Amino acid sequence: MLDFMDTVNISASGMTAQRFRLDVIASNIANAETTRTEEGGPYRRRAVLFAEAFQNAVDELNPPDVASLAGVRVARVEADSGPFRMVYDPSHPDADENGYVQMPNVNVLREMVDLINAQRAYEANVSALNTTKAFANAALQIGKGG
Amino acid sequence: MAGGLFNSNFVTLSSAMDASALRHRVISQNIANAETPGYKRKEVVFEDVLREALSPQELRIKKEDPRHFSNYPENIEDVQARMGSVRNTWITNDGNNVDIDQEMAVMAANSLRYQTLARLMDQNIVRYNIILKGTR
Repeated sequence: MLDFMDTVNISASGMTAQRFRLDVIASNIANAETTRTEEGGPYRRRAVLFAEAFQNAVDELNPPDVASLAGVRVARVEADSGPFRMVYDPSHPDADENGYVQMPNVNVLREMVDLINAQRAYEANVSALNTTKAFANAALQIGKGG
Repeated sequence: MAGGLFNSNFVTLSSAMDASALRHRVISQNIANAETPGYKRKEVVFEDVLREALSPQELRIKKEDPRHFSNYPENIEDVQARMGSVRNTWITNDGNNVDIDQEMAVMAANSLRYQTLARLMDQNIVRYNIILKGTR
């Protein structure tokens, strides 16, 4: 017998992961022009890496079964090592001797595409959650003679 | 429970409902991992195994010893849904092969199937109530 709450938790983990991704995308967009950070230098774009989650340890000898499925988790947040944008702006306080400023390697257009992706993925998880609710409701109607 | 007062309808229906709920969980897992690099979509096999279990006796291998292998499940209670991964396809460059549109379509179909099965189970109980009480 399957517990519907476990299925709800799978969809909830997907929603949490996508929301976290939205937070990181928002941080990237907010810092698209940030030239000074704690680590020194301009802001580096951050990317979220997801990994499949299980309720217990899974390896080659213990393949995952249905009871061990636990949705998705955030594996890590990685800084994008791509090159910074060089912008010619001699009046900028952080300009070098040639008048160039190192700007963050954030491409706002790309972040917007990611944002829409995350939103759609979030909605898909909500849809799965609602279907789980319909399942539980159908099961509860058994024996009522409807 | 099989035979006698309660025929195997209860067993067949409840194992089909279990398989449907299980399939929904696997679809939820696929949807949650739609953006996970390297994730391979999972699938549930049940209906084919159940059909084999319900197939006519003459199609089965004759067994003369209980230790002989069988090509079909012996009885309906033995029919278990199995989960597997589809490993040989790619949808995106990161090795993920979850097609979100397909998952949503399968989820809708599976939801209808579950609700139909729940309704059938309900009607089954109603039928027994009629017999037992002589009225509804």
